[in-house]
Amino acid sequence: MSLCLFCDQPFTGDLDMRRLLLPGKSKTSCLCPSCRQQFAQIGPAFCPQCGRQQDSGEICQDCQKWRRIYQGNFLHNQAVYCYNQAFHDLMVRYKRYGDYLLCQVLQELAAPAVQKLAADYYVPVPTSPEHRKKRGYDTVWEIFTPLLPLTPLLAKKAGAGAQGEKGKKARMQAKQNFFLNPEFRGTITGKIILLDDIYTTGRTLYHARDAIETAFPKCQVESFSISR
Amino acid sequence: MTEEKESLTGRQWLVDKVDNSIKEGQTTIPAIENGICQRCGSSCWARLPSGFLYCRACVGLGRLDEGKLLVRQTAGSHYPARAGMTWTGQLQERQEGVSRFLLEKFAAKEDCLVEAVTGAGKTEMIFPLLAEAFSRGCRVAIATPRIDVVNELYPRLVAAFGEVEIGKYHGREEKEAANEQLVICTTHQLLKYYQAFDLLIIDEIDSFPYAGNPQLHFAAGNAVKKTGSRVFLTATPPEDLLKAARQGKLAIVRLNRRFHGYTLPVPRLDLYVKPFLTKGRLHPKLARRIKMAAKSGHPLLVFLPRIAQMPQYFAAVKRLLPDLRLATVYAQDPDRLEKVEKFRKGDLDLLLTTTILERGVTFKHVWVIIVAADDEIYSAASLVQIAGRVGRDKQDPDGLVLFGYRRYSRQIRSAVKQIKEMNRV
Ligand SMILES: [Zn+2]
Ligand SMILES: [Zn+2]
Ligand SMILES: [Zn+2]
Repeated sequence: MSLCLFCDQPFTGDLDMRRLLLPGKSKTSCLCPSCRQQFAQIGPAFCPQCGRQQDSGEICQDCQKWRRIYQGNFLHNQAVYCYNQAFHDLMVRYKRYGDYLLCQVLQELAAPAVQKLAADYYVPVPTSPEHRKKRGYDTVWEIFTPLLPLTPLLAKKAGAGAQGEKGKKARMQAKQNFFLNPEFRGTITGKIILLDDIYTTGRTLYHARDAIETAFPKCQVESFSISR
Repeated sequence: MTEEKESLTGRQWLVDKVDNSIKEGQTTIPAIENGICQRCGSSCWARLPSGFLYCRACVGLGRLDEGKLLVRQTAGSHYPARAGMTWTGQLQERQEGVSRFLLEKFAAKEDCLVEAVTGAGKTEMIFPLLAEAFSRGCRVAIATPRIDVVNELYPRLVAAFGEVEIGKYHGREEKEAANEQLVICTTHQLLKYYQAFDLLIIDEIDSFPYAGNPQLHFAAGNAVKKTGSRVFLTATPPEDLLKAARQGKLAIVRLNRRFHGYTLPVPRLDLYVKPFLTKGRLHPKLARRIKMAAKSGHPLLVFLPRIAQMPQYFAAVKRLLPDLRLATVYAQDPDRLEKVEKFRKGDLDLLLTTTILERGVTFKHVWVIIVAADDEIYSAASLVQIAGRVGRDKQDPDGLVLFGYRRYSRQIRSAVKQIKEMNRV
């Protein structure tokens, strides 16, 4: 018997192949079958640019706007799960309430897709210093750190606030809050994958990408978000 | 979650460290002691990257970490001593008896358990007790595990006690806390209080196993003053409270008849050999039952054991009866409260629901069908509760309660037996 980290109900945990990929963790799932069922994988059709679930494989409205804003220099994002009620609840508990243990649920959801990523550097989108202090952890870093070798290339300005607390319009108008981590020395070439938990408007990931491209124009930047 | 900025009587809240924000009349204790959360009583085992423990059980109220402090405002507020009752209704003789019993026990500062069938008019029975408590200047809380019940109780109490300040608190409503004399809240909200109430009434105590729920136990003990007393209301008392009653630790009073004096509708048992739903189509017999109930003009609650099945059932019923006004509702449904309200007002004909509507809520003239009453999710108590939704109105004391099942479970047998027993007394 294990306890489901999402609903606290006991369940008989089958050996889960997905968990075998996670080093040092229990090899049984941390989600009971009925909770797991609530998380919906994106597919079969999705936007080829941002990964959003949709009926066709065409570029979505939001992405066409990004293409206009960036004159074609768009960001390619891969996403795994639909942002549904279950994912929303999970993120509220992990980010707003600060239930740190739920990073294990996110790891389990993300692991299969993360194993298939191939890049020279994996750069998590950073949390602002005040949020990190309040929660006691960096939300994105903690999800991905057991799965991939991470490079802390970016930092976030203090007082920038969280995207999650803003409406869509305010998010789109948010200013560039990322800058190159001053503690990072050296130079970088090759392919970088930016890592985030949710792709909402794309604003955050585009800003993160811009900050990297400004510093290292030779790099090729893509992104991965667990949810879209 | 926002922390309370102002300190209110009987509240407890978290601070990072001792500083000059702590005033006279407040006490502080470590938030976690010996691995036990001092707010909700759960044992803590999850750790932050810093290595400090935190409590997952009550994390929604603001994360409680090892090293933080719990500040408790103990100095008292004073309330006007007046009954404040504007209710002019009459209790029935049977209700009157229970009411007198409660007054006696309150005077003697004893805890008591009221076992009353659903629809027995539990709320009215406590009105005289509330009036007595208010006339002594006491502070009172009524707590129940369900938000829907809080929302239903609140307007009734506002109408019955027009002169008393009443506050309503649950997790779906962001509201600054105030010092109301009467607090109506979910049991979860009680965790924010420490020795606040002279009288604490917990309704539907059985909808969680009281013994198996350390949080509820802890909250029920902590929120009431040392000199205060508690009343537990239930239709199906949990074993541990019955045991306490047998041992004389808890006074108990029973009321077996509904306030209109009629008996509870006995469930009709409906055996199905084939599945209830195959390839998006309802079993023909189930389809007939739903059609018949819908045609009768009665609002219909159809209970389903799993959220995941709701869309298929929704589509199947829609296909069967395209003109019916239909909705699904479940605990995490963001529109849940609205839909329940629409159903109550008659703007919906049929509600496909999970067990969230099994108790506490009243819908006039409602009929009920349980699909898969043999599912493990239904305890005998919840089946009794669901049956108790029907026939609550004096004008319409009977109605359809249908248990659809494929396997005659122990729970179904026990539920039917309990209902028949209650009707006999
Ligand atoms: Zn679960
Ligand atoms: Zn797109
Ligand atoms: Zn706790």
